[in-house]
Amino acid sequence: MRIAAHPGLYDVEADPPTLSGTTCMRCGRVYFPPMAIGCEACGASEAQLRPTPLAARGTIHALAQVHLHHGRPPAPFTIAEIQLDAGPLIRATLARDEEDPQITDSVSAIWIVTGTGDDGNEIVEPAFTTAPPATETADEAARNGGNS
Amino acid sequence: MSTLGQLRRVRVVGVGLHPYQRPSDTPYTRLGVHAIRAALADAGLEWKQIQAAYTGTATTSMGMSRLMYRHLGATGIPMTQVENASASGSSAFRQACIEVAAGLVDVAIAVGVDKPLNVTMPQRAAGLRDLADGRVVPFTHFALLASRYMHDHGTTPEQIAAVAVKNSRNGALNPNAQRRKPRTLREVLAPPHISGALTRLQCCPVGEGAAAVIVASDEAINRLGLDSDRSVTVLSSVARSEAVYDGENFDAALTRETTAQALDEASVTAADLDVVELHDAFTVEELLYIEAMGLCKPGQAAPLLQAGEFDIGGRVAVSASGGLLAMGHPIGPTGVGQIVEITTQLRGEAKERQHPRARTALAHMVGVGAVCVVHILRKE
Repeated sequence: MRIAAHPGLYDVEADPPTLSGTTCMRCGRVYFPPMAIGCEACGASEAQLRPTPLAARGTIHALAQVHLHHGRPPAPFTIAEIQLDAGPLIRATLARDEEDPQITDSVSAIWIVTGTGDDGNEIVEPAFTTAPPATETADEAARNGGNS
Repeated sequence: MSTLGQLRRVRVVGVGLHPYQRPSDTPYTRLGVHAIRAALADAGLEWKQIQAAYTGTATTSMGMSRLMYRHLGATGIPMTQVENASASGSSAFRQACIEVAAGLVDVAIAVGVDKPLNVTMPQRAAGLRDLADGRVVPFTHFALLASRYMHDHGTTPEQIAAVAVKNSRNGALNPNAQRRKPRTLREVLAPPHISGALTRLQCCPVGEGAAAVIVASDEAINRLGLDSDRSVTVLSSVARSEAVYDGENFDAALTRETTAQALDEASVTAADLDVVELHDAFTVEELLYIEAMGLCKPGQAAPLLQAGEFDIGGRVAVSASGGLLAMGHPIGPTGVGQIVEITTQLRGEAKERQHPRARTALAHMVGVGAVCVVHILRKE
């Protein structure tokens, strides 16, 4: 069992990580982080907002190595804006061992362990890397190969 | 529907500041009263002639207005706090203008005052979570933006840092600025690195201070015998909030829309602007907003800044006060302080900072949330 560092934002049982997005059934807009209460684009009610799993895969849109940060994780770490293949522009942390990431690089998420829960289970969150995840399925490997 | 310009004419008749400074033990009440007394003296008014007060504030306390204004003599006038993040002061000024333009009062004051006692973020209150939770503070938001701007336009970190060099030079001439030292490019680029391309001197200081602006109708100016020659007309006042922008950076899109509407309502073009005060909380923002306002083509702000076009004495003086980067960004005061600066410029009273032949000026603030407020003023 894994424990999510951010409950509600991803499916900890999925490999590679899958993000928990939302689709508005009225206007078709896809959100991540998930949208509740009502649709930002068209104002549709919560009943129209459906959970949608999103592949944690996309292209780096913007990058910043953070040098000053109070709290965890300790600086430096790298934040990226990632244009998901599934639509939304999201912000996420890049894997620590990522060397010289560039805007327009293709990235996908792997699980990283950020701690251990009281019951001994690993606390995980997705981090993005330009290297394809080791656990990807044959189908995804073929798709990633096609993109590169 | 009417625009501000279609209602009764509103003119700025008095401006005052308390210098922006590092947080101190001075209570906000003393900061604010200092700026208000300066504005009253500038206008030639007494406090009892002020009929409504709007206080731009975001980080001090609820219900703070009367504890400050009472020190001028309690007259029983309406007083309201206006919170709109970094655009709080701009929004307070807008409310004062609207009340005079609508004819509800003849003389109103907008005061920006803050101390960084109670800084909060709305995402937390909304219970929103994000993969980058707590890891993206404003400087990283704008560092991300800087990386994309450099990617799109081939701009260098040195060209972005040049904004802070210019604004520090202006701030050094401003006795009310928090940072009063002119800085070289080497100094601006020196550590500490904060996030991405941004170093410490490319991030604005958030301290404390106060700014006050008094606006009046033509009738009040005549009745009270105010100096009409030193008054400055508010041509337009526009506030907008973020919409859904597909594929366009929202900071730029919101500024583009709001400025375009303000220019249109003022019946002027970007080329008519002589002085612009904008939300340069981080260096890259100045380049981005100069382009979004239509002061130059996309990707051209950095080379034109290097060529001196945005200097005092250049084509259009941008951040003549030193901007948020050098004058400082005490939040509530900032937007009101911009009106103080452009009024002073339009009156021709900015001394060493004076931009020659300044006739039309614009003030621009954005605030997290996100909102944007733009005012255009003219000396007639």
